[in-house]
Amino acid sequence: MKYRLNMRSTLFILALAGAALFGFSITKGQAEAGSPGVVLTGSVYDRQGQPVEGAMVTIQKPGESIPALKHGEDLADLQALTQADGRFLIPILEPLDGDLVLVTQRTHYKTIETPLGSAVVTKLNAGESISLADVVLVHQISIAFWIATLIFIMVLVLIALGWLHNTLSALMGAALIFIFSYLGPIVNKNLYIFSFNDALKYIDWNVVFLIMGMMIVIAVVERTGIFQWLAFKAYKVSGGRPWLLLAILMIITGVASAFLDNVTTMLLMTPITVQIALSMGISPLALLIPEVFASNVVGISTLVGTPTNILIGSYARISFGNFLSNLTPGVLIALIALILYSLWIYRKELKTDTDEEMMELLMEKLAKQAKITEPVNLRKAGVVGLGMILLFVTGENFHMLPSVTAIIGATALLIWIKPDIEEMIESVDWTTLVFFMTLFICVGAIQEVGLISYIADWIGALVGKNLVLAMLAIVWVGAVLSTFIANIPFTAAMLPVVGFLTGNIPGAESKVLFYCLSVGSAMGGNGSLIGASANMVTAGIAERAGYPITYTYFLKKGFPALLITTGIACIWLLIKFL
Amino acid sequence: MNNKINKILCAVRGGPESRQTVTYAIDLALETGAKLTFFHAMDAEFLGSAAIGRTLSGIYNELIEMGKFTMLILVDRAQRRGVKDVDYIIQEGNIRKQLIQIAIETRAETMIVGRPTRGPTSNVFKMTEMESFAEELAREGGLKVVVVP
Repeated sequence: MKYRLNMRSTLFILALAGAALFGFSITKGQAEAGSPGVVLTGSVYDRQGQPVEGAMVTIQKPGESIPALKHGEDLADLQALTQADGRFLIPILEPLDGDLVLVTQRTHYKTIETPLGSAVVTKLNAGESISLADVVLVHQISIAFWIATLIFIMVLVLIALGWLHNTLSALMGAALIFIFSYLGPIVNKNLYIFSFNDALKYIDWNVVFLIMGMMIVIAVVERTGIFQWLAFKAYKVSGGRPWLLLAILMIITGVASAFLDNVTTMLLMTPITVQIALSMGISPLALLIPEVFASNVVGISTLVGTPTNILIGSYARISFGNFLSNLTPGVLIALIALILYSLWIYRKELKTDTDEEMMELLMEKLAKQAKITEPVNLRKAGVVGLGMILLFVTGENFHMLPSVTAIIGATALLIWIKPDIEEMIESVDWTTLVFFMTLFICVGAIQEVGLISYIADWIGALVGKNLVLAMLAIVWVGAVLSTFIANIPFTAAMLPVVGFLTGNIPGAESKVLFYCLSVGSAMGGNGSLIGASANMVTAGIAERAGYPITYTYFLKKGFPALLITTGIACIWLLIKFL
Repeated sequence: MNNKINKILCAVRGGPESRQTVTYAIDLALETGAKLTFFHAMDAEFLGSAAIGRTLSGIYNELIEMGKFTMLILVDRAQRRGVKDVDYIIQEGNIRKQLIQIAIETRAETMIVGRPTRGPTSNVFKMTEMESFAEELAREGGLKVVVVP
């Protein structure tokens, strides 16, 4: 079977090459129908202008019923499947006869019957290859649509309420999708969502490998003690002035978050920050909350700073350099505003109140503790890190995906440092990687059944061709929704929607709407305690030091921060792109 | 039965919410002349809910150092109030299990604990189950448990 399919692929490529030589418009063929080289070609798109892969296109008599192609079954004559770019090519091996139609059918879409017309048939019979006008398929709502939608909502709710681990929620969603796809058709064929092979096509491996590579690099860096050392240096530089310490810590946390994931940054910064605050006799929350704000905001200035940026960058082909030039200036302005806001809201808490003798004792302990533990490895990690940044920035010139850079960097670091390889591999957060893979499958399912198309149509109808309106809608809806629902699944689901809007709104070719999505989904994390994993981690550690952060407390401090930073970033994007 | 108290355990995390519990323990230590030990159980189960699945040895160390810091402050406070014999113990792991274990190991006569905090990520006790846990702790550890409001 594989051989026969390969033969068909070879035939397709040969025919395509032939068609390219002679042009895709109506061309004068050199052979009559029945001779090799005569083809009927065309493209199939959905309503958002995205190519539809896997649609079966058949030349047949009107009203004739064509059974759906079963797995492993060969295509009949006068039949073709659309490729990833939506194109199809039907070789005309025998003369055609009578009234014919082109039937385009695909699961979850309405079947389209297009009359070929006698002129086309005549030309094909005369040996001319024909390229037809694009076929536009429209989704149809079936029971599978509702099932996939409900499963996706269930995953979102489970993640938001914390009833199940994020990974288990997404894994369960993917498993349910496959149960309905494989066992459902026994009861009702409309329960089919998509096959395992189709599901795999929705997994963005660039994202998975980029995250994996960065995890290995982070695992090396986090052991060096650099964060503890930096935080203590911040205290030294501040000369014990809490306001200056707060500003420096926010900058350190922000810069670290731009290159490492926010959760790791806060995991490493929180314990040392608590100790510095306690030594100075100030509430740790007065330093921790501003730090986590900075982490959530500044993280979006680079491609690798947040998982949402990794998703966006990979989908929209936005490079590391593009994120730096288009988002970083706005983010830095937002950071300055955030520092001023934090100084204002914590103006009372930032007054020191401690005994000099006790402070000396605690600082002595802190000084012993806050040392770089692996200086040689830190230097090596620094060299490799610089090389990676260079490759991230220049990689697009030689079509090198960020995931390739991350894998090269991680491998170079492992070879150079020679750590315990098993320990390093254990440092990779496999649960997060499984979360991403299964989440892609869940998002793929709602894309497959058409939910994303309907949302795109709805938003498209709301904003029309107005770019400013679209920008504001994406930033603010993204920010508010990310306050309450996990921003990673939200971003993953929004990518095709934003892709549609980018293709349909004049001026959006600059990919500005993707930057809006980045701003909204990340800055929304500051709106509530559950808005970002980094918030939860910080709250968990602070609570273990006796300083719990309640939902209400975080909301009171965080929501104004969301409004300020999102507003500034929004103004920046409007100035930059309009 | 000898009612003399020689050892007092005070299980707290530090911070403003444990102020009353610590004050009660210090007062009792001063009153009885008993040794006062602050106990801090460092659980990191909350990290699991934040999608952290990788090895956390480094992070655990940081949490322990933070715990030592908060305990040092409490020890200093007790010493300033005049408690002569005071120290602290920190152990990693599930708080329920650690509390029972430390009660058995130290053979203290009294354990002072606070009411549960209001923290959202707390995985220790619900307010309603505190009394029953205190009873269980008293039974398993063979000591008197005082829950400070």
